[in-house]
Amino acid sequence: MIRDVALGQYMPGKGIVHKADPRLKILVLIAFIVLIFCSFNFAALGVVTAAVAVVIALSDIPLKYYFKSLKVIIFIVVITSVINMFYGTGEPIFRFWILKITMSGIYRAIFVTVRIILLILVSSCLTFTTSPTDLTDAIERLMKPLKFFHVKVHEIAMMMTIALRFVPTLLEETDKIMSAQKARGADMESGGLIKKVRALTPILIPLFVSAFRRAYELAMAMECRCYQGGDGRTRMKSLHLQKHDFFCILFTAAILAGVVLCDVFIAAAI
Amino acid sequence: MSFISASGVKFAYEDSDKLALKGITLKVNKGEFVALLGHNGCGKSTMAKTLNALLTPSEGVIYVDGMDTSDEEVTYEIRRNVGLVLQNPDNQLVASIIEEDVAFGPENLGVEPAEIRRRVDNALKAVGMYEYRTHAPHKLSGGQKQRVAIAGILAMEPSCIVFDEPTAMLDPNGREEVMRTIKTLKEKGITIVLITHYMEEAVLADRVIVMDEGEILIQGEPEKVFSQVNLLKKHALDVPQATELAYKLIGAGLRFSKMPLNTDECVHLLEEALG
Amino acid sequence: MSIIEVKDLCFTYGIKTPFEKKAVDSLNLSINEGEIIGLIGHTGSGKSTFVQMLNGLIRPTSGQVFLNGEDIWAKPKEIRKIRFKVGMVFQYPEYQLFDETVYDDIAFGPKNMGLSGEKIDATVKKAAKFSGLSEKLLKKSPFDLSGGEKRRAAIAGVIAMDPDVLVLDEPTAGLDPKGKSLLLSQINSYHRERNNTVIIVSHSMEDIAQIADRVLVMNKGRLEMFDTPKKIFAQAEKLESMGLRVPQITKIMISLKEKGYDVSDGVLTVEQAFCEIVSLLKKEGKI
Repeated sequence: MIRDVALGQYMPGKGIVHKADPRLKILVLIAFIVLIFCSFNFAALGVVTAAVAVVIALSDIPLKYYFKSLKVIIFIVVITSVINMFYGTGEPIFRFWILKITMSGIYRAIFVTVRIILLILVSSCLTFTTSPTDLTDAIERLMKPLKFFHVKVHEIAMMMTIALRFVPTLLEETDKIMSAQKARGADMESGGLIKKVRALTPILIPLFVSAFRRAYELAMAMECRCYQGGDGRTRMKSLHLQKHDFFCILFTAAILAGVVLCDVFIAAAI
Repeated sequence: MSFISASGVKFAYEDSDKLALKGITLKVNKGEFVALLGHNGCGKSTMAKTLNALLTPSEGVIYVDGMDTSDEEVTYEIRRNVGLVLQNPDNQLVASIIEEDVAFGPENLGVEPAEIRRRVDNALKAVGMYEYRTHAPHKLSGGQKQRVAIAGILAMEPSCIVFDEPTAMLDPNGREEVMRTIKTLKEKGITIVLITHYMEEAVLADRVIVMDEGEILIQGEPEKVFSQVNLLKKHALDVPQATELAYKLIGAGLRFSKMPLNTDECVHLLEEALG
Repeated sequence: MSIIEVKDLCFTYGIKTPFEKKAVDSLNLSINEGEIIGLIGHTGSGKSTFVQMLNGLIRPTSGQVFLNGEDIWAKPKEIRKIRFKVGMVFQYPEYQLFDETVYDDIAFGPKNMGLSGEKIDATVKKAAKFSGLSEKLLKKSPFDLSGGEKRRAAIAGVIAMDPDVLVLDEPTAGLDPKGKSLLLSQINSYHRERNNTVIIVSHSMEDIAQIADRVLVMNKGRLEMFDTPKKIFAQAEKLESMGLRVPQITKIMISLKEKGYDVSDGVLTVEQAFCEIVSLLKKEGKI
């Protein structure tokens, strides 16, 4: 059933990663992504991996959830690492037909695998520890300077908030409409592509009609609650950097320094 | 002076040449609980929307706490003061975390963060949803969602709340939850206008107004209105079964000291009559 | 003759997840042909899951559903045929309308059945008549109808498949008293004319008391009671312990009986209550 798909994987908690300022978390995530791709030797990669391990340990989220998020991409990881293995240059250590595996190929495969895994882990860590509303809120605040270029920052954030709110509702609705049409004998399994696309009409039309009706009612409800756009609006949660946030900054800076040092003083492996 | 005072209010929707409201005159006093009854399309929802300036009358005038609803200068002050709770709880919640949703109104009003926090906590406590403040709305029952929607209005600290069929989409338990909440709000001195189809909800009001075809058919205390069983039935409205039974028995020659509106009253009166 | 028979029916949601929940638990019952069954139970009692197992929308975790003596899952590939025999009207069915005209929308089910053009036309018109929709309305877009008309058009869409069993989940939810009584009387006359089996799921005890031949009470996924409305509603206390209520008029008469008056406890309508009290008054010479 559609509604069983885990959405908004946020899990409430009280750890330091949960408490950290969401704006900071987004910036740290970006820093980590850059670092992951800028680690060119095993030492640097080791530093980043250790850092990610520390963050995960501090995140207060059971490890099995991280494994679950990795499970989804395991296929992609295996495929890309296998392909990468054959793309190395230099002396082949194994040869089969036109395929050859070299030492550099193996290195590449290891780097790609570790990078993808780290990438998934850090971004899962962000979504696990930060509620979607905090995320959109942080994005809105981080994008504030863009207002200067006439970007409608508040409107974009509001749209994201509403989308987040209504995704589960609309999924549930899709489920209901599908059952209702199936009960009238709608056949969604058999037939070719065109037939299958046509079979979607009885689901999509009611879904759109309902989405518009909801949008209309929501707009009215927002008006009732004095919504007048972003001007003059305050926020319940004001974000101030706190002590633990400075630890986060220090931590990130240390990792950054570590990776740069490794990259500068140790020869690149790939 | 009355809190809401409407006189000669007429209204027609743009796409229709028929009047949805045909000259409504009514007053609602401060702290009063008024129930608005009538079948679908009788104009009661339209009436509700004119009370917080979502619609402005095409003729006639409505004063809310002394403010003219057609004066655009005070639109938002009126909307803050007269909250409107709609039928479908799903479509009133904006944010995916309950406390953030409740904060939406005061945030729009530019209230200070600390004060918003206080209001949100108070509003959630008033509707009994404080423990759920960090939950997501889609995991709640219909009654709980509707209570959150009420909290969202309460956080604007209005002196009046208009409920437009707040229980129509709820199961009996959800209905009871919402009605209990409405009763506690009334006790806090908030003026209540409740639009409903359910007679057992309307009998709780201080005054019942029955609308039909954009006009007021009859109004008064619940006892007085519901004793007009024939008139109500003629307009395809229900009466509580307790009242209907008493009405029939009166027709058969029995005398009651008053008209019963609920089970207990009816049993009590029947005991008296039967001896 | 029983048309539906259910044996040890169970359904569990989210097996092997933290959300595992038994929605329907060892249900055994049989429903006779031509009966109107009222199904009551508090939200989450498993009634929706149960009725969706009757037409094969949900496959039971264990147990069987027999329709006319045949296990509906005997040939899983042909489960679609069962859905034409057990018509299912969901809650707020008007939200499933999609076609250009009301006519086409009602014809959706019959078309899926593979009926010929003429047969479709006949069955659509018949279904529209049952639901009280005029020929003029059939040409309109379903989105231009009033709330009550939309509801009836959606119900016609299921009736048009000419099912042996018609299941209606909360058919009167959200309607005003006028729309409610109109719809109930239409269901009643449809049942009288077609003489098929109807199952109505409802929170409105007044509706159930008025229309049902037998009432099925579900609680926590189990079958609690299955009897005539008179006998079911006489047990107000038991129903209330399950979060259910009895019609106001039944409650009044039960209270009177408890206070020692000679009235019956399974009174379902105001008319009945009136007659009982009048005869009581006459006996005592009060009127």
